This record gives sequence, C-alpha cells and structure tokens, in this order.
Amino acid sequence: MSAAAIPHDHSHTDDHAHDHHEQSFIWKYVFSTDHKVIGIQYGLSGLLFLLVGFFLMMLMRWSIAYPGQPVPGLLFLENLPLIGGVFHDVIGRWAPGGIVNGELYNMLGAMHGTIMVFFGIVPLGFAAFGNYVMPLQIGTIDMAFPKLNMLSFWFFFISGVLMMYSFFSGTGAVQTGWTMYSPLASTTGLGVDNVWNHGHTWWLMAMVFNISASLLGSVNFITTIINLRARGMSWFRMPFFTWAMFVTAFLLLLAFPPLEVAALLQLSDRVFGSSFFLPTGLMEGGQHLDISGGGSPLLYQHLFWFLAHPEVYVLILPAFAIVAEVIPNNIRRPLWGYKSMVYSALTLGFLSFLVWAHHMYLTGMGTMMSTYFQITTVLISVPSVILLTCLMISLWGGSIRFNTQMLFASAFLPMFGIGGLTGLPLAFNFIDLALHDTYYVIGHFHYVVAPGTIFALFAGVYHWFPKLTGRFMNDKLGRLHFWPSLVGMNLVFAPMFIQGMAGFHRRWYDGGKYFEQTSADWLWLNEVMSIGAFILALAQVPFILNVFMSIKGGKKITNDNPWDATTLEWATPTPPPHGNFTFDVSAQRGPYEYSVPGATEDFTPQWADEKGKPVVAPASSPAAAHH
Amino acid sequence: MADNLEEIQKSIKKYIIIGSLLIVFTVITVGLSYVELPTHGMNIMVGMIVATFKAGLVALIFMHLNHERSVIYKILAFTFVFAIVLFLLFHFSHGDPLVFKDFDATSAVSH
Amino acid sequence: MDIPFTVSARPDTGLYNAKLGIWLFLASEVMLFGGLFSAYIFLRVGADYHWPIHELPVLPGFVNTMVLIASSVTIVMAWASLKLRRIFQFKLFMAITVACAGVFMVLKGFEYNAKFHHYSVELQDGTILTGHLPHGYEIQFGEASELSLTIQSENAAMDANPVKYVFPYLEGEAPAFKLTDGSEIRLDEAGFSKLQKETVAAAREKIEKRKQELVEAGKKGEADALNVVPPTTVKLTAVSPMKFSVKPSKTFGYTAESITFKDGTVVKGKLLDDRMTLEVDGVDARSVADKEKSLAWERKYLGDDWKKVFIANRDHAQHEFKEKYGDGRDPLKSATLQKHSYFIHIHSTTPSDHAPEGAGHSASNEAPAAAEGGHGEEAHGHHPTVVLEKKDISFFSNFTPKLNTYYAIYFTLTGLHGLHVVAGALVLAWFWLCNGKLLKTNPEHLANRVEVGGLFWHFVDLVWIFLFPLLYLL
Repeated sequence: MSAAAIPHDHSHTDDHAHDHHEQSFIWKYVFSTDHKVIGIQYGLSGLLFLLVGFFLMMLMRWSIAYPGQPVPGLLFLENLPLIGGVFHDVIGRWAPGGIVNGELYNMLGAMHGTIMVFFGIVPLGFAAFGNYVMPLQIGTIDMAFPKLNMLSFWFFFISGVLMMYSFFSGTGAVQTGWTMYSPLASTTGLGVDNVWNHGHTWWLMAMVFNISASLLGSVNFITTIINLRARGMSWFRMPFFTWAMFVTAFLLLLAFPPLEVAALLQLSDRVFGSSFFLPTGLMEGGQHLDISGGGSPLLYQHLFWFLAHPEVYVLILPAFAIVAEVIPNNIRRPLWGYKSMVYSALTLGFLSFLVWAHHMYLTGMGTMMSTYFQITTVLISVPSVILLTCLMISLWGGSIRFNTQMLFASAFLPMFGIGGLTGLPLAFNFIDLALHDTYYVIGHFHYVVAPGTIFALFAGVYHWFPKLTGRFMNDKLGRLHFWPSLVGMNLVFAPMFIQGMAGFHRRWYDGGKYFEQTSADWLWLNEVMSIGAFILALAQVPFILNVFMSIKGGKKITNDNPWDATTLEWATPTPPPHGNFTFDVSAQRGPYEYSVPGATEDFTPQWADEKGKPVVAPASSPAAAHH
Repeated sequence: MADNLEEIQKSIKKYIIIGSLLIVFTVITVGLSYVELPTHGMNIMVGMIVATFKAGLVALIFMHLNHERSVIYKILAFTFVFAIVLFLLFHFSHGDPLVFKDFDATSAVSH
Repeated sequence: MDIPFTVSARPDTGLYNAKLGIWLFLASEVMLFGGLFSAYIFLRVGADYHWPIHELPVLPGFVNTMVLIASSVTIVMAWASLKLRRIFQFKLFMAITVACAGVFMVLKGFEYNAKFHHYSVELQDGTILTGHLPHGYEIQFGEASELSLTIQSENAAMDANPVKYVFPYLEGEAPAFKLTDGSEIRLDEAGFSKLQKETVAAAREKIEKRKQELVEAGKKGEADALNVVPPTTVKLTAVSPMKFSVKPSKTFGYTAESITFKDGTVVKGKLLDDRMTLEVDGVDARSVADKEKSLAWERKYLGDDWKKVFIANRDHAQHEFKEKYGDGRDPLKSATLQKHSYFIHIHSTTPSDHAPEGAGHSASNEAPAAAEGGHGEEAHGHHPTVVLEKKDISFFSNFTPKLNTYYAIYFTLTGLHGLHVVAGALVLAWFWLCNGKLLKTNPEHLANRVEVGGLFWHFVDLVWIFLFPLLYLL
C-alpha cells in the first residue's frame, strides 16, 4: 500500500479492548483476547478432554478384559448418599447392573476416538502450545486477530459442551465409530421421532462448531506468521516449532472443509431424509428403507478421509515441533539439519493431501486406485523418516541434560519410530486387506499418537511451565510420571500387534470371548493390556499433582531464561505480560545457536548481539523484516 | 493494488463494463443451454467454460487478482491443487479402468 | 501496544492483516464448496435415474444471477467511492448491495416454498406422477382394541411410550384399558408412568428371586451374571375400539391387521384405507421399460385418453428430432429427447381440454416452471385427480432433499450459498450502518474493511456463477 495521496491515520481507534490494562477478572481470564490466556484455556480444556477420553478407554478396557462383569466402583457410585440419584439414572440407563454392554461399548469407542483426536490432542498440540508459544517465538505482541482468537476458543468450548451433552441425549452418544461411516451412521436410530433427541445429531453439530474453531485458529496462525514476524525474523530464522505450526495451520485450513461437507451431508441424510450416502435398494432388517437411494457410501469415505488423513499430520506435527525445541535445548547443540527438517515438514504437509484413500483399500475402489495411493503412501514415509532421523542425529555428540522434558522427548523418538514403521506394512494394500480393522491398526496409530504425540505434549508442558508460572515442575515427580507411563504405554499397545495379526477385530466389546475357538490363544493379552492401562492411569497421578503443586510450590526460576534457551519466547519477562516484550525485540541470528565456537556461553540467543546483550533498536515500526 | 487514487478513478468505468459483460455472458449461458449439442456432456462442457470465464472476470477484476501480492498467489495455487484433487473424487471411485472397463463419464451424465 | 498492520500494509508482504486473513478464509471456502461441487459430480456421474435438466424454474434463477452481479458491481463501487472519500456515494452503493441481497433471498424463499407443496410419487414400475396432495397422506386404521407394549425400564433410552407415540394419532379421546388380570387403567401421563414403574418393579423382583434361588443352589457365579432387568411385554385391551389416522412415516410399518408405532408399541385392528389421492400435473415414464404399459394407464389411473395424449406427444417429439438432425444422432442418447418424449405435463382436468400435442411439447420447453409446480396455488382444480393404491406406490416425497440426490444437492448447495449471502449482507450492513465513527476518524481502515467484506461478497457471487448453470440449466 503506497497510498500516495491519502494521509494515513495510524492511530487505531477501535478494535483494542485489550488496551485497558485494568480489566475485571472475567475480561482478563475468561473472555480474554490475549493469545497466552487463550493458549492456557485451550491447554486446560484439552487436558480435561484427554482425561475424559482416557476414562472412556478405561471402561472399554475393562469390558474387553472382563466382559459381562460389573465395572468396579460404578455401582458404588449409584449407592452414594445425596448424589447417588444422579448416577443412578445414567448408570441404570447405559450400564445396567454396572456392566458395559455392547451398546455402551460402541458409544465409548466412538466418543473415545472423537474426543481424543478433535478435543484432546489437536487443541493441546496446535491450539494450546501454538497459541502460547508461536507469537512469542516470532516476537510479536499478539495474534493478528485477537478477537477471532477468542471466538475460536469459545466455538471450541461450545463444541465440547455439545459433544459431552450427546451422552445425555435420548439415545445416548453416537455408536458408529469415530469415522461415522454411512450408511450405518446415516440410518441408525432414525426411529427416534425427534432428531434432536439423538446423540448423532449433536455429534454433527459439535463437529461443525469444532471445525469453525479450527478454521478461525488456522487463519489467525497463518496471518500472524506471515505478517507479524519481528524485525530480522526471516523465514529461515523461525524456530522449527513455528514452521510446524505454519504447516499444521494450512492442513487445518484446507483439509477441514471437506469434513464439514461430509458432516453437513450426513446431517441432511439424517434430518431431511436425503440419500447422499445411501445406495439404491438399501435394506435394514429385511425391509426397504423409505429413501430414494442413488447416493454412495464411498462419497462419505472420500470426503471423510480427505480430512482425516491430513488430520494425522495435524496430530503429529505439533509433537515434532515440541520435540524439536526440547532436544536442541537439552543437548546444547544446534538442531541437525534444520533446513531439511523444514522442507520435510512442508513436503509432508503437501503429500498428506494425496494419500487419503489408503484407508479405503477394502472398499473395492479398484486396484489401480489402490496402487496409486500405495505409491503416495510409501512416498510420504520419506519426509517423516527425515524428520525423525534429523532429531536422532542431533543427539550425537551432544552433552545431554536428562531432565524430565528430555526424557519424554527422547522416548518420543523410538515410540514414534515403532508407530511409523508398523505403518509401512499397512501401506501395502494386499497386507492391509488382512490387517484392516484389526488391533494391528489400533496398535499402529496409537503408537504414533499416544506414546508419540502425548509424550511430546508432556515434554512441552515440562519445558514451558517455567515460562507460564515462573516456577519449575518437580523433577522427581516428573520421573515418577515418566517411567511408569513408558511401561504402561508399551504394555497397552505392544500386545495389540500380536492380537491384530491373530485377527482380533477392533470392535469386539468382549475382547474376542465370543470367538473363543479361534481367539483363545491370545485372549490372555487382554488382561495384560488392561493392567497396562491401569498402570498408565496411576502414572498420571504424579503429573496432575505436579502441575497443581508446582504452580504455588515449585522451585522459583532465577532468570527469564531458565533452560539457557535461544528462541525468542525466553526473552520475555516471566510470566510474559500483556504485550509480551519489554524491549523492541528483533532476531539477530538463527534459532538454534548452541555451543557457538568462540562465544562466551554455550548458547547465543536470537535476540542477543555477539556479547549476549539484547539488541534494542531505535523505536520504529517492527516492519522492515527484509532478509 | 488499485489504491492509487487515479487508478481507482479509472477503474470505476472498468467495473461497470465488466458487470455488463457478466450479464451478457449469463444470457449467453441460458441461451446455450437450450441448444442441443451432439451430447449433453458437451453442453455441460460449454456451460462450464462460459462459467469459468465469468468467474475469472470476477476474480481478476472485482477481486483484484490481476495485481495481487505473491503470498496470495502462492496460497491460492496450493488451494487449487488440492481443490482439483478433490474434484477427482468421483474418478477415484468410478474411474478405475481395470474394474470399470466400460466406464465413460460423458455417457453417464447424458441420461 | 497495537497490533501492527491493521491499516497499512507490511512492506515485505505488501498486505495488511485482514486482507491476508480473508484470502486464507476464502481458500478454505474454496475447499468447502469444492467438496460440495465434487459431491455434485460424484452423485451425477453415479446417478441411476434421469438427472433433471431444466426442471427448476429458470427465470428466478436468472433474475437472481443478475441481482448478484449487480451487487458485485455496487460493492466494488462502494469501496472505490470510499477510497475517493465520496461518502454519500459509498453509503448509496452499500445500501444497494444489501438490498440486492434481500431481493435474492426473497426470490429464493418463493422458489423453495413452491417445492415443499409439490409431490412426486414413484410407482412400482418406475412411472413417476407429480402433483399435489389435496388432503395430505394419512392411513386410516380402525376397530383397534389390542395394544402391546414392551417396557424395558423406567430410564431406558428408547422405551414404549404410547402417550407420546401412539395416542397423538388417535381420533377422539383415549379410552380406558384393561390389563390381562382384568384391572382397568387409564393411560394418561401419570397412569402410564405408574404402569411402567410397577412392571419394572415386578420384573426386578422376579430376577432377585431367581438370584436368591441360584445362590441357595450354590451357583453364585450364575447369580452374579444376572444383573440386567429383562424387558416385559404388557398386553392391554381397550374397552371401546379406537380409530387412528397416521402418516406412514410416523410408524415402523403396518399390515392389514396391525401397526407398529415408533416406540415399538403394536396395535392390532383393521386397516381401513391407505390409498393416496393425488392431483396429477405430470407423468414421467422415462424409467418404465414399456412406456405404453405404464401403470399410469394400465390401472386406469389416468386412462386411455391420457395415454393417447402421451403417445401423440412422444411421436411429435421424435418426429421433430428426426427432422432436425436426420440420422446423425442416436435418439436414445439424447437426454432432452427422452424428456420431451416421455414426460408430459398436465394442465387440464380432461385430455380433450389439453393443449394440442405440439404446444404441449413447446410448453415444457419454454415454461419449465410447470414441471415443478411453480404455481402451486392455482394448480387445484386444473388437474385430474387419481386415487393410487398403496401396493402400486414404491416411493413418494415432496420436492425436498428426500426426493432424490439431485434435490438433495440442490438444497444443500443453494441453502449453504444462501447462508453465505445472509452472512455477507449482515457484515456489509454493519459496515454501512454501524461504522459511522470509524468513517470519520479512520476512513482508510473502514475502506480496508469494506474491501475485505467485498472480497467475500465477490466470492459468494463467484460460487453462484457456477451454481446457476449446474443446477438450473445443464
């Protein structure tokens, strides 16, 4: 904009509710437009949803290992004085006698997947860490659109409420798996007179809000990264974390709309009786359904997986982002192959749009299509391997500090490795035909997401906690959190590969007891896994205690950069005030300059000149970022 | 960007011309749809070509895409690649030559 | 502590934030509508019926296209005027833009409304009759006295509930009922809830007793497994017979002797009448193997005189086609010829009043509005009335998403587009009416906002440019 003739008025007169420094509690912490508060809001609700998803999983694992036996404690809840009545209704309705029946199991399965993916990990990895850390890392005062950022969180909040409400609607939550495949998902429970009485409707409504929240968030992230970088913060001085957020935001921006289409069309199928996903002549219970037909279930799967495959990278890229910050900081060496990691992340993002139908080998879409998707699928493993390899090579020759976040980050590497490598066989369609929908698949993607992504998220919590609160988290409790978690995770997920290859189907609510004549050999693993899940649950207790106790009682940090890190978020006061930086921040160098030969210390921050002093530029607009 | 005042002044006329062009081409589209070409697939093709032309006018002139910044072109380029992949969905399900030997998209839409 | 680049552009990217933001948002919108258009192609390529061509009224669609194009011009003019600080013109152009949005939505409303009252009935042989249902469609079921409900538990998700699912369709008051043990009961809210509680309590007592027995017999394992209260089926007999009239969609199906309602309650009685009265305004025989033996004539629904009209129309269309193209084209491959030959529109009560076949043909050509009943009001009394047997009807629906995938995608695409129009108009109206302060203090900022809003508005226009030919013309 040159605008030669018109004098620009640079005084911004509106749009800045956040200029009032004396704000009431509600505006400061609830309806805040500050990216840090929003990040924390996302973080807390994400952790809460992880806990809910975990609880659903525990119920499922109980049912698998001990089918037909009452879940311990459930009936006890029912008999509590005063509040027992509340539980009596819910339990009596869904778990009569305290037993997880097939219906409830299906609900738990569908909701566990949905909650973990869309309400736990994406909000935590992308929205929470991204919101808090990314603007600090590029040296800006806030997101480009703070009000939209707030709106994004509240859309997410509404979607969370609707999703949880679906448990209490007339027919309970959805029972058709987190993928909601039509025609099953288009027709189940249509007998309900009032569609609003059906959990499925609420699931779809919640997803529409969730998608809108992601959309607002990703527009905000990309605009901020492109337009609000500080002076000197050129593209290749951006930390890998910010790069990964940039790619993730694009995935969310462009991949979510087709899912919104799928959700809208399915909503239309259910509410208006259309046949988008229902083929001609569809029968249920021996009767022709009262539908026109002419649609196709394949259409749903295409639209769904067009999102859901990039979604996998939305789950994993923030994990890489966090690990790529934690590792160089704790090995005191630069990140090995920073540029190749950036290019890999970009390639990964691009390719992730072209592989979706490898989830659909079993649909009979044709051998040539399968071959095409097989090629792109194998291709996409190359950038993933580059990312992992760079992180591993970085470790070589470093002087490693094994604090808690480094433990989690280094465990991430082999865990993600197992998850990734077990995915390779699934990429080949002839093997996938056999393994499709077995526990092998479950094991594969849980290794990627649970001990992979969730470990990285834990690492992030331990790493940035001092910046949030000014106190360290307890290292001893951290270790008590890490080691049992590692054992528990592997106990839960490793046996799944064995069971999967033995043909255990993922939707057996009794864990395979019904098919005892073929499954007997490996039924005992059900109990092993359920014990693993129990260990995992106990392992989270120290973490929760640690978070709450450290806020007030943790060891205080002595300076604003307690980990001797190099990226810009450590240049702020602790915790960062509104507006973040106390000086005119600029990036003087690349993001990972650890152990620079000739430097006085083993880290040279991005904001420091050669002597380690922050560079305060003459007061001017932070615009000229040409490099 | 058309933010030079003289340019804006000039472009006002341009906007009116483009608006009229769009109306003319809408009439043409309607007219063409009643002309029976050898196959209905060709009718669709012609209709879509005219529509794409109109959409191009809107995007280039009204939305100023004829002189926009490179960042926006880059974003849109990626979007269009993915959008085209999305448009091929039907092909990925109906178009496998090994399975659907007799498949012919133009004949499928002509009845 | 202001966010930089809200008004002026960042030098190296050349963009202010909102402009970058809106383009990203539009990129996402491209993927949203891309997905919908992709679904359109998918459904059309895979359609197993005659995809409607020229079936929607072209005129409102055409006018709407004009309106949107005009508003696209005015919004860009509004922006230019504001840039040049011609405030009055700016406000005028904004007003016209918002008014255009209003006109668009009103026309859309009329278009939708006509479809809700117009029905399409598919017969078993594939013949499609379109028309209006003067009395709606309800089945009559009488001499009903026996009611059987399956009660699961007082808090089950889906449980029998005749008060909610059965009695609303009862003609007159609900009578008293007798239980199998002879006691009399009144089935209102309270009465049913009491019955439900007692039944569940009895079932629970039974299971406890059985448990006790098992424990005493030393089978504790088996006793522990008995946790779930089984459902109980209750039979009720009405003291006086009941009569129902109910839409078939409110039931789970019916036979000559019984109806199953949506809560699983089965009512025994006698089916009195399940025929459908239809005022026919169109016969589409394209999907019938032998068109001359379509059920429309065979069951004498429309009779031989209408059949003659049909045949004459067919011959005329085929003759004209041959004259026009000679042998150069395969008549079987021409979708329009198929439609002109086998799809007649009926404008009068008797065949003799019907326009000559030639005119009938060109009428369907020039006034496609007739095909979907653009004039629902005057239609009554101008069409033959037929009474269709239930066994002949394979599917029926009004012209809503339920009818076929074409109408489903039509409503979804135009509905979503309409939502975008409304949202865009609201935002533009906000800039026009509520941004007076900004207009005085920082018109450049407002110009940016208008530009961004305008970009969205152009995008909405751009989508319509594709929607109009795809849905209305081709």
